[in-house]
Amino acid sequence: MKQNLQSIQPVIMWKIARDEWRYWFRSKLAVVALLIGLTCTMSTVVVSVGDAFELEHQRGHAQQQSEQTFVNQPDRHPHRMVHYGHYVFKTPPPLGMVDPGVDSHTGNTIFLEGHRQNSATFADQKQSSGTTILGALTPAFVLQVLAPLLLVIMGYGVVSRERETQTLSILAAQGLGYGNLILGKISALLLVAMLMLLPLAISGIVVLSQGESLLTLSLFLVGYLLYLSIWILIIVSISLWAKSNSVSFSTLAFTWLVLCILMPRVATTVAGVMVPAAGKLEKDFAVAAELRQLGDGHNAKDKAFVQLEAELLKKHKVNRVEDLPLNFRGFVALKSEAEITSILNRYAEDRMHEELRQSFFARQFGWLSPQVALRTLSMLTAGTGLETHHRFLRETENLRFNFVQRLNQAHTNKLNYIDDMNRNKSEAAGQIARISAKNWNVIEGFKFRSSPSKERALQAMTPLAQLLLWFGMFGLFLRNLQRHYS
Amino acid sequence: MMRHLVREWRFLLGQNNVVILLCLCCALSSFAIYSGHQEIVAQHFTIERLQLAQQQDQQDILAKHKTPGSLAYYQFHLTYQTPSHLSFAALGDRDLYPWKHRIRMLALEGQIYESDVANPELAYIGKFDFSFLISVLAPLFVILMLHDIIANERNKGRYELLVVTASGSVVLWGYKTLVRFLALSLSMLAPFYIGSALNDVPLYDVLHVSILVLAYLAFWAALTLWFGRQSIFAPRIAATLIGFWVAVTCVIPITGNLLIEKNIEVPKGSEILLLQREIVNQAWDIPAETSLTEFVKTHPEYRVYTEMSEGFHWKWYYAFQQLGDQAVAHLAFDYRNAILTKFDLGGYIAMFAPPVLMRRQLSRMAQTDVISALRYEQSIRDFHQALRLYYYPYLFELHLFDESTLADMPQYSDFARL
Repeated sequence: MKQNLQSIQPVIMWKIARDEWRYWFRSKLAVVALLIGLTCTMSTVVVSVGDAFELEHQRGHAQQQSEQTFVNQPDRHPHRMVHYGHYVFKTPPPLGMVDPGVDSHTGNTIFLEGHRQNSATFADQKQSSGTTILGALTPAFVLQVLAPLLLVIMGYGVVSRERETQTLSILAAQGLGYGNLILGKISALLLVAMLMLLPLAISGIVVLSQGESLLTLSLFLVGYLLYLSIWILIIVSISLWAKSNSVSFSTLAFTWLVLCILMPRVATTVAGVMVPAAGKLEKDFAVAAELRQLGDGHNAKDKAFVQLEAELLKKHKVNRVEDLPLNFRGFVALKSEAEITSILNRYAEDRMHEELRQSFFARQFGWLSPQVALRTLSMLTAGTGLETHHRFLRETENLRFNFVQRLNQAHTNKLNYIDDMNRNKSEAAGQIARISAKNWNVIEGFKFRSSPSKERALQAMTPLAQLLLWFGMFGLFLRNLQRHYS
Repeated sequence: MMRHLVREWRFLLGQNNVVILLCLCCALSSFAIYSGHQEIVAQHFTIERLQLAQQQDQQDILAKHKTPGSLAYYQFHLTYQTPSHLSFAALGDRDLYPWKHRIRMLALEGQIYESDVANPELAYIGKFDFSFLISVLAPLFVILMLHDIIANERNKGRYELLVVTASGSVVLWGYKTLVRFLALSLSMLAPFYIGSALNDVPLYDVLHVSILVLAYLAFWAALTLWFGRQSIFAPRIAATLIGFWVAVTCVIPITGNLLIEKNIEVPKGSEILLLQREIVNQAWDIPAETSLTEFVKTHPEYRVYTEMSEGFHWKWYYAFQQLGDQAVAHLAFDYRNAILTKFDLGGYIAMFAPPVLMRRQLSRMAQTDVISALRYEQSIRDFHQALRLYYYPYLFELHLFDESTLADMPQYSDFARL
């Protein structure tokens, strides 16, 4: 490529590429590799898209049912509804079809109730057969891990083969320029990569129809194309540099092993050691200790609420709690829920912050492995990374706080204090201390959506930069390998 | 024999790429053992901190709540599964299944599925531990190291000469292979031995792991050699072997997993929770005696104590908590059973996928797999049941509850199992 641009001749490039394809069709190994690559991407796309629709339907249905059940509850004491609680389900984003990301490892159901923040439960992975070691059956896995290996198997000999059969020097002697040769070989491999990406691009139509923006989808696809191009540059560089086919293949296989299998796990392991995160349980103890200072919201006589009572009596100019124009028990519940929630949220934010720090640390390994970079880009643009899970936790917490407080408000304003205090005297008294089921209309329909496409695109800029660096690095490397062409 | 081995060892030292590969294996194994050890130390520390926090929490609760009803309501009990000696080498699924949990006397089905687990993004990618190194990476190292032993000689034109002059094929290829194989195995096992010493692993287990590892690597070595004789073209040998590796680490396990997923129906976990919630909450809307009558069917000894003078009594409250659990017991059982069935079926797939088999063997030995996770869950269930049996006589006011009776409260440590 040191020759000037005029000497790049598309016709010759095309001939070189066509020749390479001819060779592949005659080689059993290459044909098998190509077929495996195409079947794998095609079948995973079909299976994953089908599964995603089923999942979306299932969880959407469960969500609707859960909302209906809540609204249909009979007349009750409002605080009973606070503990009856509500279930929400996480529906995957459109691009989750091709890259489900952390979805299988996070719970997809969360129980929302008063005074507590529960964790998301029932991660799919917990029901796995314990057979998958490397990854799940997703187009993302196939393209991130298997596709580079197939490209290696097909392309390790693009230049080293010519050298071993001594055709390389003939080509050089006939005046074939370095740039033409290299670009021709690259085009041949690029065509293979595009073929493997084709099912993904086609599934993009389905993804778009599900409401994904063109911006994120393009960024997603560009990321994959860039990634496979990096591999093609690596393959051609090493094939050019290696003295023999054998050395070329061993080096490439080893490179693949390090970049695709080893690095991602080294990244998580180092992140785990370097950035320790306390679990939820430890935080729960700290929360419990803080909450004990607050007073028990179930007990309006708790010392912590005496001052609140005095203030309220003064404000309304009455002497007895019974004379207040509101239900003091409900008022206490309202106040204490707000305080508890602010403490719970502080710890929850803390925990999410710790998790993010771990993930950020692991993602820095994208500078050391393009696979790590692409995986991050893929998850972030698809909206299936840790950030999106945190978003789910925050949104559900919002939902929880709103409906609990609306119930507490009904408790304060619609239930008489004396009836409330007598609720346990007898069963008949318990019947009186209830409010109408109309008040249960406090939950809005919940449908989880990942963050806006622009936000996701911005998040993906760092891994994109990592990929561009890899691309540039090997592009330059290849440029400087001309001396090996002889 | 020693003479041959020493000679081959010297040859080996002269080959840069082989030496580099050996150093890399040793470095990777050391890293795996070190990080695994760190992780387990951290887990032990976490348990210690939790125990300390639990003690503090207990004191506060006991000072505040004197009646059995409210004590049982507010007192959380800490449960945990201590990592085994060997778990540093196979961290297993402890980042997926919880190994620490707090429960109280309320309906257990509403609490037991809560899980405090590690960062899901890290868990999704997976950790690098000794079992991963051995089951997934080591075969590739064996292939890279042994595939061209014969082909190389052929390519360099020495093959015929060597075959004619050497006294036998064992002398020719056997010692060379043996030296490389032993060097590779030991480079990975040596750090494991250090880790074992640090973690007080019983000698028997160390031997067991060593034999497993050697047998597994020998399988890959034999495969590589057998294949290496079929062709003179080294890249073709390696590519085919790597293809086989991809088949047994990815294709077969993933396809098998898919088959299991599609054929084994797992009851939806959320259904357990939803039903349990209905039953528990319904109790407030139906006459208390209905729940209590239902309750004494399983605890006839309280038959004569079901009278309730007020609208609320703790005995009624805990009785319907138990009814909530009872109502979903079959679902919860099916749920666990389905997980176990899937895991067992996975065992059949592992027969065709040696890396999976190896990983399952190691995590079984280290007690970090699904079976151990389910055993831990069972220990929580047993403990919860014991708590109920402890509290009921006091809740139904057969006996008087005071400070002295606290000493008889069940402790989780008596129920813990690996």
